[in-house]
Amino acid sequence: MLTARQNLVETIKGGKPERFVKQFEFMEFIMEAPVELAMAPPGTTAKNGWGITFSWPEGQLGAFPVHDQEHLVLKEITDWKKYVTAPSVIYPEDRWAAAVEHAKAVDRTEKFVAAFFAPGVFELTHHLMTMEEALMALYEEPEAMHELIDYITDYELAYAKELIAHIHPDALFHHDDWGSQISTFIAPSMFEEFLLPAYKKIYGFYKDNGVELIVHHSDSYAATLVPYMIEMGIDIWQGAMNTNNLPELIQKYGQDITFMGGIHSGVVDRPGWTKEEIYQETKKVCEQCGKLAFIPNLTQGMHMSSFPGVYETTDEVIDQLSREMF
Amino acid sequence: MSKIEEVKVLVETGKSKKVAAAVHEALDAGDKAQDILDAMIASMGVVGDKFSSGEIFVPEMLIAAKAMAKGVEVLKPIMAGDVSNSLGTCIMGTVAGDLHDIGKNLVIMMLESSGFDMVDLGVDVPAEKFVEAIKENNNVVLVACSGLLTTTMPALKEAVQTIKAAYPDMKVIVGGAPVTQEYADEIGADGYAPDAGSSAAKAKELIGA
Repeated sequence: MLTARQNLVETIKGGKPERFVKQFEFMEFIMEAPVELAMAPPGTTAKNGWGITFSWPEGQLGAFPVHDQEHLVLKEITDWKKYVTAPSVIYPEDRWAAAVEHAKAVDRTEKFVAAFFAPGVFELTHHLMTMEEALMALYEEPEAMHELIDYITDYELAYAKELIAHIHPDALFHHDDWGSQISTFIAPSMFEEFLLPAYKKIYGFYKDNGVELIVHHSDSYAATLVPYMIEMGIDIWQGAMNTNNLPELIQKYGQDITFMGGIHSGVVDRPGWTKEEIYQETKKVCEQCGKLAFIPNLTQGMHMSSFPGVYETTDEVIDQLSREMF
Repeated sequence: MSKIEEVKVLVETGKSKKVAAAVHEALDAGDKAQDILDAMIASMGVVGDKFSSGEIFVPEMLIAAKAMAKGVEVLKPIMAGDVSNSLGTCIMGTVAGDLHDIGKNLVIMMLESSGFDMVDLGVDVPAEKFVEAIKENNNVVLVACSGLLTTTMPALKEAVQTIKAAYPDMKVIVGGAPVTQEYADEIGADGYAPDAGSSAAKAKELIGA
């Protein structure tokens, strides 16, 4: 029987997988690595190394950056150097110890040792200055935005160097939401100008330093960005929503990139969820997308769900569909 | 190109730094403030349509709305006191349990640009707060409720039904990623807009403007 890692490789390389790749089964996330998260634990407020304050109010599904005047980090894009200072990427060795141990303990024939990085370049710009200001600045102050993006990219590259040196990841899971359910946030031409160069550097660096697999998360519509995803070195687009025409994308680009998602978290991951509904949604997308260049998965990032049991039940359903369809 | 046409183009293309001067020039050339305002509103209608059709994206809509606001700033002192310019007040908020504000903010810009006086209640707005806002503001003709999460769709329903219980004739429009026309009908909303671009046209239709 193929290991999870081998089965993934067969799936993405147009080989002979034995079964559907079961969501994130091929990745062992090393979450102990120190990183400046866009996060506050549920029910709390926290500030990260960029000075961005995040709040996760009780009862919500996630943390949000706080953007009132008191907490906003970047108040004027043309003055970004005055407001924005990247955190250090050098953490004490004891902060890395658990991550190093975890990575060492993984059988790399079974799974990819996976590094995690979030927020991405675009997300960080709007965490710093609000979404509206970040988007308008792309038009109104393009030079300053290019400088800011270069600065963020340099930070990511410096962090990547530390990450690679400590855990030697085989895979990277990188978060950057690039659209809503029905559209990309920015025009493809603007994406090409501002974000493609940054990601070519970042993903190129990881690949040049032993990372075999780049998994990028954007739970959105992003069909028009797929050629750029390929160009920047993404192997798997995770979070590919069914608002994209996934069968068409697989046919057109499946030799270069794999689409992971198709099971809309918003539809199945909710109060009152049922296994039957998850089965129907998953079966439909598996039948539409086929066995190659496609990984059935909830569109939410990582191996989790908002409501307890949904992720695990989706795993069970995928096992069942593998038995029925392979 | 006439001065008023120039203003239209500048709004449509989001040239916020140039609009104010162009509006002044149009006024100097003898164009009426109302005609200039109407031209800018028409521009935003075009912007909304282009956004809905996928021809333009969020940044283009944002800079157009910003440009329109700059133009309106010039016209305001001239048109002060002329209430006929307003389509009435619209109360808007993202419903309880939901902290998403980008979609709501885009709709506010589009509705404001089409002539509504907007009252932004923010995010995570309890149903009763919509009712209080109707009470506290003058000439409220429309309430817009946004919900971005599947999990907050019940809160959207509660908001609509609470508003309707207190003000049966008040028009209520809903929207957000998980919302559909069917769901809007089911919860008793008067209108639904699938995106910010089409929200202004729908809002105007609901109030008969």
